[in-house]
Amino acid sequence: MDSFIQSLNSFFAQPDLGGAYSPFLSYLVFFTRYMLPIAALAILLRCAYSMLRERYEPEVWGYLDLPDGSRVPLRHLECTVGRAKSSDVTLDGSWVAATQLVLIRDESGNWTAYDIAMSGGAEINGVLIPQEGARLEDGDLITIGKSELRFFNLTEEERGIISKRRTSPGKQISPGTMFRFVSVFQFLVMYQLLYFGDEQYRAQIALSFVSLCVIMWLYYIIMRAIGRRGFEVEALAFFLSTIGLSVAASSTPENMLKQVLLLLAGIILFLILGWWLRDLKRVKAMRFPAASVAVGLLAVNLLFGSELFGAKNWLSVAGVTFQPSEFVKIVYIYAGAATLDRLYRGKNLLLYIVFSAVCVGALAIMGDFGSALVFFATFLVISFMRSGNIATVVLAVSGAGLAGFLALSIRPHIAERFATWGHVWQDVNGEGFQQTRALSAAASGGLFGLGAGNGWLHKIVAADTDLVFGMVTEELGFIIGVCAIAAIIILAAFVVHNASQGRSAFYVIAGTAAGSMMMVQLALNVFGSLDLLPFTGVTFPFVSIGGSSLISCWALLAFIKATDTRKSASFIMKDPSKMHDYNEFSERTYIDEANEDESQDNEDTEANGEEKGRNLFDRRSEKRGRAK
Amino acid sequence: MKKIKNRAYFAMLIALGLTFGIAIFTVRLFTDGKDWVMLRANQSVFNEGVMDTGTVTDRNGVVLASAGNGVYSYAEDETIRKSCFHAVGDYSGNIGSGAVNAYDYKLAGYDFFNGVASISGSGGKVKLSIDSELNAVAYKALNGRKGAVLVSNYKTGEILCMVSTPSFDPNNPPDLTNPAYEGVFINRALGATYTPGSIFKLVTLSAAIENIPDLYTRTFTCTGSVQVGGDTVHCTGVHGQQTIEQALANSCNSAFSEISQELGADKIYEYAEKFGFCKSLTISSIETAAGSIDKADAGTSNLSWMGIGQYNDLISPIAMLRFVSAIANDGTAKGPVLLKGAYAGSTRLLETETAQKIQEFMSYNVAYAYGQWQFPNLNICAKTGTAEVGDGTSHAWFVGFLKDEENPLAFTVIIENGGGGLANAGPVANAVLQAAVAK
Repeated sequence: MDSFIQSLNSFFAQPDLGGAYSPFLSYLVFFTRYMLPIAALAILLRCAYSMLRERYEPEVWGYLDLPDGSRVPLRHLECTVGRAKSSDVTLDGSWVAATQLVLIRDESGNWTAYDIAMSGGAEINGVLIPQEGARLEDGDLITIGKSELRFFNLTEEERGIISKRRTSPGKQISPGTMFRFVSVFQFLVMYQLLYFGDEQYRAQIALSFVSLCVIMWLYYIIMRAIGRRGFEVEALAFFLSTIGLSVAASSTPENMLKQVLLLLAGIILFLILGWWLRDLKRVKAMRFPAASVAVGLLAVNLLFGSELFGAKNWLSVAGVTFQPSEFVKIVYIYAGAATLDRLYRGKNLLLYIVFSAVCVGALAIMGDFGSALVFFATFLVISFMRSGNIATVVLAVSGAGLAGFLALSIRPHIAERFATWGHVWQDVNGEGFQQTRALSAAASGGLFGLGAGNGWLHKIVAADTDLVFGMVTEELGFIIGVCAIAAIIILAAFVVHNASQGRSAFYVIAGTAAGSMMMVQLALNVFGSLDLLPFTGVTFPFVSIGGSSLISCWALLAFIKATDTRKSASFIMKDPSKMHDYNEFSERTYIDEANEDESQDNEDTEANGEEKGRNLFDRRSEKRGRAK
Repeated sequence: MKKIKNRAYFAMLIALGLTFGIAIFTVRLFTDGKDWVMLRANQSVFNEGVMDTGTVTDRNGVVLASAGNGVYSYAEDETIRKSCFHAVGDYSGNIGSGAVNAYDYKLAGYDFFNGVASISGSGGKVKLSIDSELNAVAYKALNGRKGAVLVSNYKTGEILCMVSTPSFDPNNPPDLTNPAYEGVFINRALGATYTPGSIFKLVTLSAAIENIPDLYTRTFTCTGSVQVGGDTVHCTGVHGQQTIEQALANSCNSAFSEISQELGADKIYEYAEKFGFCKSLTISSIETAAGSIDKADAGTSNLSWMGIGQYNDLISPIAMLRFVSAIANDGTAKGPVLLKGAYAGSTRLLETETAQKIQEFMSYNVAYAYGQWQFPNLNICAKTGTAEVGDGTSHAWFVGFLKDEENPLAFTVIIENGGGGLANAGPVANAVLQAAVAK
């Protein structure tokens, strides 16, 4: 392998290929600076349009007939019934609690009703619903005080048809084009790096970028082969990873191939975690063991960790150095998210608070205050999502504020960073050393950058991690820097957009938490280096150099991917028509039809589906009429 | 699930914060980016703290200094290197007012859109308004004496010639401990102040024209000296009976002593201040040395000397250039500026009639006293100054302008301890003006 790289290097080292000798080449490379933002904006706009504009048909999993004779579809796997306006099914009557019932559909298609009202009193077919919930069968009568509801499960036939009506992500924007734009972006960055970068490492640069491109397209081919057509989330991650690889090429070109391998590891973890998240039952079962592993990992880190860059958050096992806190992030969200029934019970939140305190405390002891802050912000998001209680959040923030003051008084270097904040230009060679250099380099790059590999900030300590926004802006330009931030915001906005379609509270909470965690980390990283916030030294998701961080970002992406309920979009979401219970159903026609329209990006099936859907509803009401 | 959905929207508050932060940063980048790139550690602009990009040229495109890839160089011609040394400055940063230092942000080639990237890779360009050939002529004419020469176009405000001596060839730095190089890093044209001597009579005259109604009909008698407050104010000769016009041409101390006593210190100071002699000027963003005029007590000989340009009067050559430019331009000073094509602001220093009257007087000076033969083919208006510095020597001044539509040139020449103004500074001015007109 080494000799191969060397021969490649000697080929690339020919002066004509990229030296500053040819005026034509220098004009060409100058011109590519303006093409980069165009490619990046094309990626972002296409992704954002397709992720945020798409209005897809909601899923229907069952029906409730209300006392007033109307029929309400159950649109999520978890639904609430109560007097509150925010309930999924709203009932009138003083005898109904604000949130009376939680209805949950499990993997095998069975519904369970939980009475979570303090007073209780809801009955199914005249039998009081017990504490552990009661099974709901098709046609069951639910009584809450004077209100009577009738539950109808979805027949398999209906499910197939409703599934077909779901909008597929490929309908509006070709998923391949997005990846093609990412490839163009990759090519342009690679060209600049070959021109400006270290001549010694041209082979590594070329090989790494080609490998990244191949990995990306292999992923695409495999996913298309299993009938998936939603790739925006991955396209954004590949876009950010490309910027990360460009940073690596400038700062540590000798380790570029390693960076690509780590990226591959991240993608594999993304796929494994995604596959694991498909089944909520096993997900729920593993929450407690996962949290225990996380606590154990932090304990080992505290005991045997080594100190690097002022924080004792590194662990070295068999020659491989990694940051356990990065992996704990994944578990932290995994263990923090919960399904709707638990949410209203509240008793699990206490355990989670203890778990959070352990995580944040351990990180603070290690001296990794940046990560501690990221965990704390994520804790706020998750606990708010779970409790909906702003008072709790305010209480937590004030508690953390006190703890923060305590930390400031114990750790003088943190206090110094606060003192420097906003005054970096008064001490450019002391406390403001890193920030002033990041700002200077960023301004030097202008909107279009000096060209990948043409900067100097990479010579400064931690340029490729803590100051990475300065490096990206210097070499690739402010527009690309903002695009990288926008990519993360789009991922988070996508999760929020998907929340109304979410099947389970678990996915929505986990996805929102992952998106928020990335945004908080981003804010601390970017604004810390630009002197808009105190310097904390956390990583820029996907872009900062560092294996642990990169792998954990891809894993967090699985939580975001898991909120995508569009038809055939996410490999994590099962197609309703292909879910466990449905497969037992012998009639194959719907499956075949479903496969057929997946292979052609057609518009007419939607119209068909709607028609069939209407027939279906008509039929249902006829049937009901007869039943009465 | 509806509840969870609504709560999820709160996560967008973080996105809002991010957007807000980026907006703040964009504004800061827009307003402060030009300062940020000048951080000495910025290796795209500096090489170990030394300017490492950009080119300085004269008004005709002659390269005076350029830097890049860790190497810098000055003009090709040795005399141009010496004569432009102070205008261009040096890469070691010894001359703060030199273009290399004063316009470093322009040499960095920074703009908001492209940062410091340039297609040629050689940074920004600074085009000075000076003509390096005129500088060379002035440098030669000074002939090793310490001093300064300034020539500007009083219609556009552009400074065409700015030389300060002593100077040296930056390519071959001499032993600077030699007393001949004392103060070598001071640009005397902008950064030094001198006793003005008789050229200050132009200031006193301006005040007199506007404040003494019967000035033109008066007769000033000179007996070689005049008694003021128990002291004697000596004159350079016995001028007898004179008009104000003749008194200026004779540079008669007796006459200007009388005028000064009549005007009073406050009035003279008021005019000096209005003409910019008491403060620092900003010439194309370079701060010049601030002159100073002390008010003398009424009835003392000090007041006479204050109006004659002695006492504690100190002015900078650039302020005098601006003043004579205003006289030449019917009372309005343009600029002056040091960058070619730069916008030169207008400041009215004198009433039009006052300015035109002084123009006539200064023209009469040459015809009546200095000798037109000394300035062949030049329609020159001038005033000499021989400023006593107290050690027995005097600074030689020669200031004025050409009354010539084709060549609207104003000039100021000073030679430190150079002796008589006309005899020493006059020929230097003539040499530079002849070269400028010949162009």
